[in-house]
Amino acid sequence: MEIYGRKVAVVGMGGAFPTCKNLIEFNQKLFSNQSLIRTWDQAESFGERTRSKVSGYITEEEMDLEMINSILGEIPETYIDKLNRIPAINLSTSDIGSIWAMLGALESIKMAGWENSEVQSEHTGVVVASCGSGNAILRPIWNNFFELGKKSRLGGVHGVDRTMTYREAANIGCLLKTKGVCESITSACATGLGNIGHAYRLIKYGLQERMIAGGVEATSIESFILFDSMRVVLSRGFSPQESSRPFDLNRNGFVCSFGAGIVALEEYESAKARGAKILGVIDEYFNNSDGDGDMFYPSFTGQQRLWKGLLGNNNRKPDVVKVHGTSTPAGDAIELLSVVDALGKKDFHISAPKSQFGHMLGAAGSVEFITALMMLDNQKVLPCLNSTNLNPELENFQKTDSWQGPKEPLAAFRDLLPQQTFDKEINSIACLNYGFGGTNSAILLSKDHS
Amino acid sequence: MERREIIDGIVEILKTVRTVDQEKLANITDETDFLTDLKTPSTELINIAAKAEQKFGVEFEDDDLDDLGSKVEDIVDLIIRTKEKG
Repeated sequence: MEIYGRKVAVVGMGGAFPTCKNLIEFNQKLFSNQSLIRTWDQAESFGERTRSKVSGYITEEEMDLEMINSILGEIPETYIDKLNRIPAINLSTSDIGSIWAMLGALESIKMAGWENSEVQSEHTGVVVASCGSGNAILRPIWNNFFELGKKSRLGGVHGVDRTMTYREAANIGCLLKTKGVCESITSACATGLGNIGHAYRLIKYGLQERMIAGGVEATSIESFILFDSMRVVLSRGFSPQESSRPFDLNRNGFVCSFGAGIVALEEYESAKARGAKILGVIDEYFNNSDGDGDMFYPSFTGQQRLWKGLLGNNNRKPDVVKVHGTSTPAGDAIELLSVVDALGKKDFHISAPKSQFGHMLGAAGSVEFITALMMLDNQKVLPCLNSTNLNPELENFQKTDSWQGPKEPLAAFRDLLPQQTFDKEINSIACLNYGFGGTNSAILLSKDHS
Repeated sequence: MERREIIDGIVEILKTVRTVDQEKLANITDETDFLTDLKTPSTELINIAAKAEQKFGVEFEDDDLDDLGSKVEDIVDLIIRTKEKG
């Protein structure tokens, strides 16, 4: 049960972001309306076997990491951290995503100003997860055994710790020596926000004082190919910078991207008492399911219930809605209409960070949560890049008798969707993310006014 | 192949294992224990054995690896024994 009056502050953040060396560069590029999406040479190398060729990817070199594979072929024996940020013992049990997660955790803790005694405490936990299954590690291991006929031990001894579902949380926990909760909550593309939401609840309910939380998705051509095979899921036919175009009439799929977003959460009074900089306050977290039996198609009524759960009876109207906004034909229209259904047609703006860096899958919710923190700090709204033309006609589902939502076309909501960053007084932001299986997550974040 | 030559080969392997305490590699003997003396994580022993197979051109039996002790002499003996089996 919630403890009345107990609040949760965000006191640190960090991660891994395409084409950016650090948070400062990420901030600078986003708020100058840049796209972090590039043509991916790996996808291109497969010629016509891959449908999409663009991604917001991150190379090992860009993260100052190097894979060592002296005896194991394509399988990493371990990684070298050229900047000596992570000890060798922790690198040996990690996949790339776990290393990014550890780097994000260290960055978050440094920003939070937590002492070792606070980190290595039974009151400090870790809730971090990814969406994928360690595909980049599994492929060469299985190839080694099944195709090449080698002994299992020539797959290396770290297949399990590098691919188990909660590998990122486990590696962070081992690095930091935290003594509280250590687990992963996975919910497809809602994973990043879901882990932050779960961590919020652990503090709000009085079970933990501090949490490292977030989501990760390591660069993996294997993961990319899984989505590419679905044909209509990934964007194609545009320049890299124009590929992700949430809400635009000509959108034709999302850009498969990779990254990590980690935040440090702390019980509000504790953070205030030690003079921590409060990056934001989490006012509410709510999650639910569509309940319509559909694995892929979004549900208007599911999102209606999500908004009701998030806002409750408090009449809190966010200044900005950070949408999931993937750039897929079906998802964006339903989402925009459900936002309008919940909040009306004015007095707020919609930001779609995926328009700038694509869809980071398990990291999407947490990296986009970080963009919301940046919007609060900068008092600027991030844009919906490439939302050039909105449909002036009704969507087909709006023409059916069963449709109970707004009966205006998407073009009627043009003013909600900025195509460039702009200044605005922002006191609260709603963050939305959804995932396959009909899972929906929402966080209400506000600026600290104390 | 002389015993000392095999130990030197083992040291060369250990130089590539980043989780082994590299400062302690100067004084490796038969009695050196991978786990207690070199602080090698136990999971790494199988990687060291795999590297030894490659370096010395042998293939260990699974039973032998299951019974392998944690001292340098144990893997040296296993390499010699396996080589003798041909």
